[in-house]
Amino acid sequence: MVPMRYLEEMARGLDARAALREASRCLLCLDAPCSKGCPAGTDPGKFIRSLRFLNEEGAAYVIRINNALGALCARLCPTESLCQKGCLRAGLDKPVDIGGIQRYLTDLEAENGWEFLSPGEDTGKKVAIVGSGPAGLEAAAVLRSYGHGVVIYEKEEQAGGVLRYGIPAYRLPEEVLEREIKRILDLGVELRTKAEVGRDVDSDALKKEYDAVLYCIGYTKGKVVEPFKGKENVVSALDLLRKIKKDPASFKAPENVLIVGGGDVAMDVIGSLKRLGSRRLVCVAYEELGEFRASQKEFGDALKEADSIIAGYVPESYDGKETVFRHRFLESRLSIKADLTVLAVGQTYEAEGLPLVFEKGTVKGTFHTSGDPKVFFAGDIAPEKGKLVVHAVKSGKEAAMIIDRRIGGHKNGK
Amino acid sequence: MENRLAIEILGVAFPNPFCLSSSPVSNDYEMCAKAYKAGFGGIVFKTIGPKDYLIDEVSPRFDATSKEGTPFLGFKNMEQIAEHPYEENLDALRRLKKDFPDKVLIASIMGNDDESWAYIARDVEEAGADMVELNFSCPQMTSHAMGSDVGTSPELCRHYCEIVRANTKLPIIAKMTPNLAEMNTVARACLEGGADAISAINTVKSITHVDLDKLVPLPIIDGKSSVSGYSGAAVRPIGLRFVSDLARDERLKGAPIGGIGGIETWRDAAEYILLGASFLQLTTAVMEYGYRVVEDLIDGLNRYMVRHGCEHLEEMVGLANKNVIPAEELNRDYRYLPEIDEEKCLKCLRCVVSCYDGAHQAISYDEKTRKPTIDENKCVGCHLCELVCPAGAIRGGKVVYKAGRKVAKPLL
Repeated sequence: MVPMRYLEEMARGLDARAALREASRCLLCLDAPCSKGCPAGTDPGKFIRSLRFLNEEGAAYVIRINNALGALCARLCPTESLCQKGCLRAGLDKPVDIGGIQRYLTDLEAENGWEFLSPGEDTGKKVAIVGSGPAGLEAAAVLRSYGHGVVIYEKEEQAGGVLRYGIPAYRLPEEVLEREIKRILDLGVELRTKAEVGRDVDSDALKKEYDAVLYCIGYTKGKVVEPFKGKENVVSALDLLRKIKKDPASFKAPENVLIVGGGDVAMDVIGSLKRLGSRRLVCVAYEELGEFRASQKEFGDALKEADSIIAGYVPESYDGKETVFRHRFLESRLSIKADLTVLAVGQTYEAEGLPLVFEKGTVKGTFHTSGDPKVFFAGDIAPEKGKLVVHAVKSGKEAAMIIDRRIGGHKNGK
Repeated sequence: MENRLAIEILGVAFPNPFCLSSSPVSNDYEMCAKAYKAGFGGIVFKTIGPKDYLIDEVSPRFDATSKEGTPFLGFKNMEQIAEHPYEENLDALRRLKKDFPDKVLIASIMGNDDESWAYIARDVEEAGADMVELNFSCPQMTSHAMGSDVGTSPELCRHYCEIVRANTKLPIIAKMTPNLAEMNTVARACLEGGADAISAINTVKSITHVDLDKLVPLPIIDGKSSVSGYSGAAVRPIGLRFVSDLARDERLKGAPIGGIGGIETWRDAAEYILLGASFLQLTTAVMEYGYRVVEDLIDGLNRYMVRHGCEHLEEMVGLANKNVIPAEELNRDYRYLPEIDEEKCLKCLRCVVSCYDGAHQAISYDEKTRKPTIDENKCVGCHLCELVCPAGAIRGGKVVYKAGRKVAKPLL
């Protein structure tokens, strides 16, 4: 049995009254700063105003028409460093809970069965998208809205990429993810799973069959660094989270776990293992406390779950059981024995057999275009800054727009 | 702290001016006793009607308006007068007077013909009421011979006052409906008929909401609804206006006024008193928050009086009325220009939005710094910006005299 604490969404959503009260806290700024803070171009100033004037359906439309993954971003965005960062209400007390309002509105959209997205008039053009993470899904939605045919190739059994196999269920319940994916597939997107391009599907054949091929393969491989390389009882955070998400029922949580890293992925490991039965969780990060990369929300939650979070230490040696760390600046050593050591120290791509040239971890090219006129890329592997889900959404959207211009034929886009 | 709130009205000593109005909150002995114990100086017992007049209420019977999360901005009530048997109501009056001899007991009454007005007046005096209030104003009665349909007719009001006058020695308060263009004609008719005091306002006829799916106003009673009385904070400005109108009318010969309508805080109470009310009645705030609201009404008003060196409530009554003058007499010689406090300004630019769309396009802003600036030549000094500013960063600044007008420092 998978504990409900793992499966159930941790953060409670706002109800109608609370959402309206929160919307009423909005100062309704002219030229609202929040509306300039979303990488994906969501306009909170507009949707909060619509809610304030009791136009819930219009408010939900504003979110969805801009972002096919709006319900996910509402849950996953570190809003304090994005839209809410500019919120002028903070000058009075604290920023408006924009993420909370967005979640309320997208939940309301689902509850009422509102359908805002529709495919454009058929252009006869076809685009293949490789990878069904946030960048691929958003690109698919935008391309369909232009009327282009879209086929997604996904190497896993189900669509979603990091959303499906990385983010724990208590942060993103499966039904919410399913809803978002279904909405996009319902636009007429064909999904081919267990179809790994470069292995099961030939990338040259794709180029011949389609007018464009968009690679959104993400960062799927967790980095294993020294002194842990090749040692036993070590796993990358991505592999661990994927294993848990694929089959939480048969996952046996180790008793005592050391987590190395201080980003959101490390926090996700802490939250998942605690919920699944680990007893002692000790997290050691290279960053000092003030530099922690985890979002406020995730770090705050992890503080409640982890037994120790230690900042400012670098791993020095590991013998398959015990890690010795040294402090970055002071004369200090720390040695920790654990049943399992989880590395959440960064991610990278897996692109064997793909027509992509990498340079410093991202694809060589600009504006989502490679040297090949038919090959495009988006998401984590694009050189643009930002590796959040919302950045992937932005990237997928932009790539779709560029592809549309390159292949022509779109009659219905804006 | 000493109690400065005692006041004598028509020979009746009020420990403080706060009374329950005749309404669902003063429905029986237990409720009124609890209100007295909570601190109310008086209660107006829920209107007692004719012996044979059957009260048959609907369910549900209330609705409320709200704005931006504030409940009970206004409140709609469809309940009529007391539904308990006539004798039971008289008995409650007797027990209340016996158990709370130092508190004020006002009997609200409503007849449907000469005979009933007469005997109810006699019976409530006999039961021990200190005053009698004539309900000429309930807007949701099921009989057109009763309630606000009577209250709009000076002749009927004068007539029923005469009947009651002939049947009781108690001070008579006539309770006014606000569903009129002006109230003074009816109030004068009541005094001519023998009333001693006026209370205002009863509820405003209203429809609060329409269910947009069922196409029925709220509350829904078997698929239908009715116009009925609206009360609460939303109607307070209407109540204050009528009370001031009455208090400033010399032909009403200084008859005491009971202020009613949206009183929730001691500030609301002070406003009614300064505009001429010498006793106050409330219901909606009690329905929302309970009798305990009286604690801060009493304490807050008392502290205000101490701060202002006011020894007796009496001294406060009507003090603001000399400053209510006709629009044509207002000083129009100057513009009072608002000033923006940069320290407090949040740069939300709501002032820019409202000034542009709702006033005179006098505020511009720097696109980079978002700093708003008021153009003194364009600004008419309407102060809309001050009212919309969420940070309280805009206040009155300097006075600019209109060309060729009298230069004399105005009272701001």
